Amino acid sequence: MSAFLIANIAPVMFVTLVIFLLSGFPIAFALAANGLLFAFVGVHLGLLEPSLLQALPSRLYGIMSNETLLAVPFFTLMGLILERSGMAEDLLDTIGQLFGSVRGGVAYAVIFVGALLASTTGVVAASVISMGLISLPVMMRYGYDQRIATGVIAASGTLAQLLPPSLVLIVLADQLGRSVGDMYRAALVPGLTLTLLYAAYVLLISIVRPAAVPALPPEARHLREPDGGSGLASLGALLALAVAASYAFSHYYFTDPARPADEVAIYSASIGILLAFAVACANRCLRLGLLSRMAEKVVFVMVPPLALIFLVLGSIFVGIATPTEGGGMGAAGALVLAVANRRLDWRSLRQALQSTTRLTSFVIFILVGASLFSLSFRGVNGDLWVEHLLTSLPGGNLGFLIGVNVLFFVLAFFLDFFELAFILIPLIAPVAEKLGIDLVWLGVLLSINIQTSFMHPPFGFSLFYLRSVAPAEVKTSAIYLGAIPFLCIQLIMVALVIIFPGLAHIKGAVDMTEKIELNIQAPLNPYAPD
Amino acid sequence: MRLLLALSRSIDTLNDQIGLRISWALMVAVVICTGNALLRYTLHVGSNAWLEIQWYLFAAIFLLAASHTLRRNEHVRIDILSGRLPKRAQVWIDIVGFTIFLLPMCFIIITYSVPYVRDAFTSGEISMNAGGLTVWPVKALIPVAFVMLFAQGVSEIIKRVGFLAGMVDASAFEKQAPPGREQDGPAASHAGRPGDIQ
Repeated sequence: MSAFLIANIAPVMFVTLVIFLLSGFPIAFALAANGLLFAFVGVHLGLLEPSLLQALPSRLYGIMSNETLLAVPFFTLMGLILERSGMAEDLLDTIGQLFGSVRGGVAYAVIFVGALLASTTGVVAASVISMGLISLPVMMRYGYDQRIATGVIAASGTLAQLLPPSLVLIVLADQLGRSVGDMYRAALVPGLTLTLLYAAYVLLISIVRPAAVPALPPEARHLREPDGGSGLASLGALLALAVAASYAFSHYYFTDPARPADEVAIYSASIGILLAFAVACANRCLRLGLLSRMAEKVVFVMVPPLALIFLVLGSIFVGIATPTEGGGMGAAGALVLAVANRRLDWRSLRQALQSTTRLTSFVIFILVGASLFSLSFRGVNGDLWVEHLLTSLPGGNLGFLIGVNVLFFVLAFFLDFFELAFILIPLIAPVAEKLGIDLVWLGVLLSINIQTSFMHPPFGFSLFYLRSVAPAEVKTSAIYLGAIPFLCIQLIMVALVIIFPGLAHIKGAVDMTEKIELNIQAPLNPYAPD
Repeated sequence: MRLLLALSRSIDTLNDQIGLRISWALMVAVVICTGNALLRYTLHVGSNAWLEIQWYLFAAIFLLAASHTLRRNEHVRIDILSGRLPKRAQVWIDIVGFTIFLLPMCFIIITYSVPYVRDAFTSGEISMNAGGLTVWPVKALIPVAFVMLFAQGVSEIIKRVGFLAGMVDASAFEKQAPPGREQDGPAASHAGRPGDIQ
């Protein structure tokens, strides 16, 4: 018995973990208990030194003093407060009006606003609930196909998982030992490509089955000029002016070609937005009548999210702020915005703080549990067992990537990204590094994959939230079926990133791994080469 | 049993009070973080002590709120299989789990962390950064948090045994409905979960 256990302790430990987790007991404590149980078994069988457990407090201390994870409560608080500021409602209403005249217009608006909200709030529930409450009834009333309407909303809400400042990317960066800033930069292009793929799907439907995504009839478009004109020409002129201003600024101000392109882009775009905002303000205050109602409204609803995006992501990309500081400033900015809109009272502030505190606590406790688990899992050479399993997959690097992605896709049916990130990533990352795979790239690839955990029927949380706010005539089966095309798009995106690694690649990523490692020698190593 | 239930109630109240109060530390951390970032880039001043206080607060937030989170039953579970079991079976799983997973875990961590804190205290350890803070108060959070968690575990066991004995309503330990949805409609806080986990 004990000989069998000594030879197979890593697989036995892993199977025990699965049983513990499936028991329905809180994951954090099941992980920790499993780690400690096997630490004692290991010591008893002579596989581990008893001194191993003395590393426990310093493990905990390492998590406490981790400044990257501090970004988790900051961005969460920012999202919860923005949820109160009414930004989502304003955006959906106005952008829906803007695109309404096109076939599939409301669907495009949902995708566009979903991406904007994702880059500011990063809260899936908030996006899905507000889109389900505001856009879904509009789409139903004007004859959208239920499956397409619900699918678009559920999928666009999950963009928050991939577009920076997503919590997934922070957690993955921490687990992979890479910088959050690099992770954000690498995720930007895949995130935007994915958004475009969603839009392309709507375009395809509008060509193949026009009746499924009709344009809004004129009477549904209330944001019109007194004479009945759409006011789009005025908006177009303002946009052209703003683009010209940014272009001129980038051209004449940044003459130094050595400046990084993203820095130039961020500063120039800010100038363009400021100009548009100034024109709109002047128009409203001085009653100049230069702009149409539509143009003015669009500028006013677009400025708060764009300002926050530039404040948070801009300062992180340019290198003015660390992601943690970006999160802190974002939370402060969101507070200012919510107070300015008179949407924040003490009660809701207190609620937001308390919810954030509980979320932070359970997320970090999963990490605490996972790190106790990995302390003894590594002690019994479980990491070598996993490496052996993964490197013996046929097909070299491609085989490894496909194997890992299939594993994540299947597990995403049952687990959420925190569990996947904290339990599996530490096992996979060292193997990937040995195979010469760029870890930032791998992180982005896996977060596209993990995004599906929100869309998998029947447990996907995005679907679940949508169901809770959708009108009764929307069938649950329509919500489930509607998610399937978007799951396929997600898989296409995973394939695209594997085929064109350049999509999620950035130059000069920094290795943040701490070089100090606990060196625990086990007396017996069943996986070492003879 | 009545005495035990009273004990359970006082543990709940104490941990809730601490967990709810500590959430203001997050507000303080936001202000300090923003202040640090702004001061550094406008006046080019900064201090390690002000940077360190941020993660001291972070540690206090997640550690001291853990037992309150447990009381609200908001630690994540995988309930795909166990969710289908009858209520009493689920309660049994929890009783067994708290007894053989949670309590020993807390006990072990407390045992190992007390000497760890004592060393930091007697040696007067100061963080490695120049102008850093004294380390022992933040290290002392580890045993404090796990004592709180141990107590909460005991309280949870008492409530569940009380439920099996028909003396306690299941609402005493079940997850509460997401707050805030009733009074302000669409964008109300959804239990505050950006990850959105079960």
